[in-house]
Amino acid sequence: MALMMLTSCEKEYLDTKPTDQVSIDTVFETVDGAWVALDGTYRSMYTSLTNHGNFGQKSYDLMSDLMGNDMVVHSAGYGWFNPEYQYTAIQSVNNDQRPHRTWFYYYRLINNANRILDGLETAVGLDADKQNIRGQALAIRANSYFYLVNFWQHTYKGHENAPGVPLYTKGTIEGAPRASVQEIYNQIVADLTEAETLLDGKPRKHISHINAATAKGIRARVALQMEDWATAAIKAREARGTIAPMSAANYQAGFSKPNSEWIWGLEVNTEQATIYASFYSHIDPYSGGYATLGTQKKITKELYDLIPETDIRKKVFVTPGTGTTTVPDYAAIKLRLPTAGNWMGDYILMRAGEMYLIEAEALARQGDNAGAQAVLNTLIKARNAAYDASALTGTDLINEILLQRRIELWGEGFSLLDIKRLKLPINRPTGPGNHDPGLARILTLPAEHPSFLLKIPLAEITSNPAISEADQNPD
Amino acid sequence: MKKVLLLNFLFLFALLGQVMAQSRTVTGKVTAAGDGVPLPGVSVVVKGTTTGTATNADGSFSVNVPADAGTLVFRYIGYVTKEVAVGSNSTVNVALELDNQQLSEVVISVPYGTVAKTAFTGAESTITARAIEKQQVTSVSRAIEGLVPGVQVTNGGGQPGSSATIRVRGIGSVNASSDPLYIVDGIAFDGTLSSISNDDIASIQVLKDAAASALYGARAANGVIMITTKKGKKGKPTVAVNVRSGLSERLVPEYDRVNSQEYYELMWEAMRNNRLAAVNPATKVPYTPDEAVAYATENIGGKNGLVYNPFNVPANQVINPATGKLNPGVNLLYEDSWEDALFRTASRQDINMNVSGGADKSDYFLSLGYVNEKGIVKFSDYDRFNGRLKVNSDVTDWLKAGMNLSSTLSSTDGLFADGTATSNPFYYTRNMGPIYPVWQRDASGNFVKDPVTGANALDWGKATQMGARPYAGNSNLLGSLDLDDRSLRRVEATANAFVETKFLKDFTFRTTLGGNIYDALTVTFQNSLFGDADNVKGRGTKANTRQISYTFNQVLTYNKQIGSHNFTVLGGHENYFLDSDFVTATRSGYPFPGISELAPAATAEGSNSYVNKHRLEGYFTSLNYDYNQKYLLSASFRRDGSSRFYEDVRWGNFWSVGGGYRISEESFMTADWIDDMKLRASYGEQGNEALPSYYAWQGLYSLGWNNVGRPGVIISSLPNQELQWEKNSNFNVGVDFSLFNKVEGTVEYFNKVSDNLLFAVPLPYSTGITTRDENAGSMKNYGFEVQLGYNAIRTADFDWRIDVNMSRYKNEITKLPQEEIISGTKKLMVGRSIYDFFIREYAGVDPNNGDALYYKDVLGEDGKPTGERITTNNINQGSQYYQGTAIPDLVGGVTNSLRFKNFDFSVLVTYSLGGKFYDGNYATLMHPGSYGSAWHKDILNRWTPENRNTDVPRVQNALATQNGISSRYLFDATWANVKNINLGYTLPTNLAGKVGLNSVRAFLAVDNAYLYTTEKGMDPQRSFTGTSDFTYPPFRTYTFGLNVNI
Repeated sequence: MALMMLTSCEKEYLDTKPTDQVSIDTVFETVDGAWVALDGTYRSMYTSLTNHGNFGQKSYDLMSDLMGNDMVVHSAGYGWFNPEYQYTAIQSVNNDQRPHRTWFYYYRLINNANRILDGLETAVGLDADKQNIRGQALAIRANSYFYLVNFWQHTYKGHENAPGVPLYTKGTIEGAPRASVQEIYNQIVADLTEAETLLDGKPRKHISHINAATAKGIRARVALQMEDWATAAIKAREARGTIAPMSAANYQAGFSKPNSEWIWGLEVNTEQATIYASFYSHIDPYSGGYATLGTQKKITKELYDLIPETDIRKKVFVTPGTGTTTVPDYAAIKLRLPTAGNWMGDYILMRAGEMYLIEAEALARQGDNAGAQAVLNTLIKARNAAYDASALTGTDLINEILLQRRIELWGEGFSLLDIKRLKLPINRPTGPGNHDPGLARILTLPAEHPSFLLKIPLAEITSNPAISEADQNPD
Repeated sequence: MKKVLLLNFLFLFALLGQVMAQSRTVTGKVTAAGDGVPLPGVSVVVKGTTTGTATNADGSFSVNVPADAGTLVFRYIGYVTKEVAVGSNSTVNVALELDNQQLSEVVISVPYGTVAKTAFTGAESTITARAIEKQQVTSVSRAIEGLVPGVQVTNGGGQPGSSATIRVRGIGSVNASSDPLYIVDGIAFDGTLSSISNDDIASIQVLKDAAASALYGARAANGVIMITTKKGKKGKPTVAVNVRSGLSERLVPEYDRVNSQEYYELMWEAMRNNRLAAVNPATKVPYTPDEAVAYATENIGGKNGLVYNPFNVPANQVINPATGKLNPGVNLLYEDSWEDALFRTASRQDINMNVSGGADKSDYFLSLGYVNEKGIVKFSDYDRFNGRLKVNSDVTDWLKAGMNLSSTLSSTDGLFADGTATSNPFYYTRNMGPIYPVWQRDASGNFVKDPVTGANALDWGKATQMGARPYAGNSNLLGSLDLDDRSLRRVEATANAFVETKFLKDFTFRTTLGGNIYDALTVTFQNSLFGDADNVKGRGTKANTRQISYTFNQVLTYNKQIGSHNFTVLGGHENYFLDSDFVTATRSGYPFPGISELAPAATAEGSNSYVNKHRLEGYFTSLNYDYNQKYLLSASFRRDGSSRFYEDVRWGNFWSVGGGYRISEESFMTADWIDDMKLRASYGEQGNEALPSYYAWQGLYSLGWNNVGRPGVIISSLPNQELQWEKNSNFNVGVDFSLFNKVEGTVEYFNKVSDNLLFAVPLPYSTGITTRDENAGSMKNYGFEVQLGYNAIRTADFDWRIDVNMSRYKNEITKLPQEEIISGTKKLMVGRSIYDFFIREYAGVDPNNGDALYYKDVLGEDGKPTGERITTNNINQGSQYYQGTAIPDLVGGVTNSLRFKNFDFSVLVTYSLGGKFYDGNYATLMHPGSYGSAWHKDILNRWTPENRNTDVPRVQNALATQNGISSRYLFDATWANVKNINLGYTLPTNLAGKVGLNSVRAFLAVDNAYLYTTEKGMDPQRSFTGTSDFTYPPFRTYTFGLNVNI
């Protein structure tokens, strides 16, 4: 008995490990583990976060469109995204509000990318794998900084020295101050440049993975924002390569299954779908989600009327007079779940159509009217056979490209960044078929108004010694 | 019903056994002289023989005596032994005198043993079975409130079968657990408290200070609640049958809300005011009053308004634009009550039978019970079967062994969603505007028949029925809760075995192995026809938790008396093991209604599983010494290792010292009004290792972040190898006394300092990992507690006893990782309490325009407040201020127990004075004008140009910046509850004896008879934090019961 008392349990008795988590060291023992970390990072781009208004990249894309001129909210419904539409959500500094969640979303991506870049150095594996993973992590980081700097500051041009966002290139617990917009863009360009090289010729394992073409597409977007027209045109063309515009049938197929035009997208299966907290819940009036329950998203009558009758893009909006209570007139039926009865539906992040438009605009702005016309015609003729932009030059041509951009990319998340880079005001049309002032609240805003800027979340100001209330964006 | 039959059979069996017994029987009752309280467990022996029995719970006994028997001997610890000549009497009633000399024989349970009450140096309170069985509650956690000092208890809400939450002496932790350690029959208990039948409980002890609890080391910081189950007594077998049947109704009333007519007028006003505040985009100037009135009149019943129109005229003719009131001749066609549709008066049944007894060398206790508790909301209920078998045997003079087995099957239906989920019936029914009906109506207000069933069709708030209801569209809980399944089925079992040997005269070695099995299957099924999952044809989730834990200990005790010196020295080793397996899967797409299994559903939506592992190991020793029961000394030490911490820091030392001085034993204390008086003090350190995570120190990546078919992980935590338990230094000083042979009591002061408090210390938010767990705070809880018992009247026929207890504590944070931590309605700062409200301060209403106003600091040039305050009509610009704490000033209870002849009557009143409660439910009902949401009647007093001096701001739809969390919704949390009334009648023993029964007691009880709160509808006892929203309201129960002893 005394023996029993003196016999201690073995030392291992008190060593326990979780079964739903794994140690940091284990992850980066080999490149196989680094691939797993990379895929987890991509997953975070379409999981839900905190509430039904956050579901990864598409929630911030939706915010971007709702802050623009061309997307109308049918009624208050359950209220999700109303405050974004009304420009109040981005003013709130509190936890779980839009700026707080957006900030966290992108910095979580950056941290995971940084930790992959750090861990990869000692991971055992083939160089080709290491290059592929490194290239993707760099591109994820660059893409994240691109959204952060554009949400928290005005556009690049004219604001190069304005405060951007904290910049981290390593996993750390030391807070950084707001780097300048220029510094952020320097990092973005450097990361994308390296990523393009590393990813060149590397096989892609999944459509969610960033390959060389995707990295170039991101580079084209960045160049467009920087008004670096030459780079924008080159990278946009390289990104789309030989991809032709999708067919009319594909354009009306819901944008929720990859087709020939997709360059980058996130695959969402039924198991990983986020149900009510998903993009299609908020954008597809047939989903049974919030877009069925009042917050149907509609195109403005103003923009709708600018689409020619023969243009297939008019068919992805409900023809006035044919609407129903749940799918009303002008409601977007462009972005739809592929099958009724489950929430499986992929998220589009980049497609060739956008690259055509970037290239056309960049060429036109460099004075290459003919080149721009040709690129524009290639894309738009696929939507409307009768289309011809060959007569347009100079500003008219640029304006036409911008109009086509609004039509072609409606609902895909480009409004806010375009308004910012073009230094446009908010000017929302009202009246039947357009915005309801009672719901929209904000009908006009001058260009580069402080209201366009998301507030730095209070959680950042209180936790980061390098950022104080004085660094907050203006009211 | 089957179970009731079964019990009846058992009952009958026992009865037959009784009738068959052949002997002369003497019955009677043993009470305490003075207060007349029946004494259970008194040994009744025929003098000069081994024949005997023990009294039952109500003090009655029945003993077979030889014809020539002369004398019965009554023995009871703490009382003077009495011998009574029987003669030819068949009834012998005896009153035993308290024996102060024998008080030392009252023993109380302490960790790993027992100690004489008089020799105990710690702070402890005992709740007897008698106090528990008066209350008709399913979980014993709900019976503790108000009975002993130093304990604060929530009401636990109204979910059938749920438990209350208990705090001992303040709030011990900020982020780790503040729950006390529960010990059942000496073994750490990991099951649910409601799995223990109250009829099986012999006593509950609350251990409060270091001397009492430090031997439990790393788990004792928040106090210990020791539950001891009943055991058989030597003597004749007894059978006790308890049958209780009751009805429950809602205790906390619903808030008063406006009716349909008022609602339409008010919403019209809110819509008009919204328009008045807007700019007409056509003219670029604000809308004129005429335009606003015309707009509201036209649109109030429209798509962007209320959508529904319950009146007999078209929606745009309901309101008179000139007055804002209903037009003459506008009549309401219908108004359904969602409460009436979903709430009900519910039944409660609680039946228990136990058989107990013992022979010379062994004793046994067998108990069977059944509880069926229906919820006061439809589709919610709880039922439970429980059984227990306890057997102890003295195998030889030096060897004892025993086993205690219990098992419980329970089933809970209606585990509703909480918070603002549409499927939460409390949120749903409270906030549904009055104009929205339960059943669909046509334009004339007539019911619409369901084409399939022919019954009145429910209204789901869909565009295809009466319109897209602006509040909780596409839902009808009367319909969906019926079709949904939110249930929990549990199997719980405990097995507890010991072997004890005595050797070398003074040594005892005891080893105990005690285990818990907890298995819970949760089904969450959203039906395929209506509501949230109709678009995917139903969604079903099955989740299973299978938890096994055990404690294995070996304890060696040395007990020695040398002259007047008494020693008890104890040493031991213990290890604790817990594995908790969780698995869940969800699928959707069901082919037929009524099926909720996984395979029939076509679409896989997700699955998960993991195991949590927890291990502890400890070595401990303690010393108890007294000199002549006058000078008392105790000390304990324990070294615990925990799997929650990194190997270099996982072992910690915990200890206590205590001393006592029984001043009444001194020869100079000659005052005869002092029966007993003991001064005592203790100090020591205990731990709290119950951090929220089992693996908080480890740097980890979360698994399961799979990218379609490719496995994925993301980083979830950074390592902290220094992380360790929270430490609690506990000082206690107290006096126990008994005076005038009438009053006894305890007064104590305590000061608990919690150190190394765990905080999720914020890392710079943009680094992507937002927090890291660190030991970074300190907090103290200090206060006093008083317990008094007063035997006001003690006569043969009439007794009256009053028990009063009260506790007061202050909580103060003394160290934080940051200057301040804001969390919800609270802000933590050094010098403040854990539950200090830090919210905006409401400054009333601007009489000129009806704006809600909030105080705002004027900032000086240095950016700091100058002390001057102004008001703002934008709540977001209002400054936040400390506005009091949720911690009450005083909590406690008062019990009045009366007996008149065979009637007994008791009333327990519990109370909590002071403190604040933020009533989020009320706030939700005072919105400025959300179309569809219900309004409290207080909104009738809103600001209007005619009603300028009010504290309710004007109504205005979509006025986002004038309403929110502020002192406007902060109320005095004071409450008092008539927690239990119990009126009983005990059949005279001779009468009972005639029908072959030992005793019969019938009673009527009301639990939660009356609740006083400062505001109607408020439920301030729901939480310790002073906030609670949309929870299951607690209920009042009327019970008729019968206790029969055979």
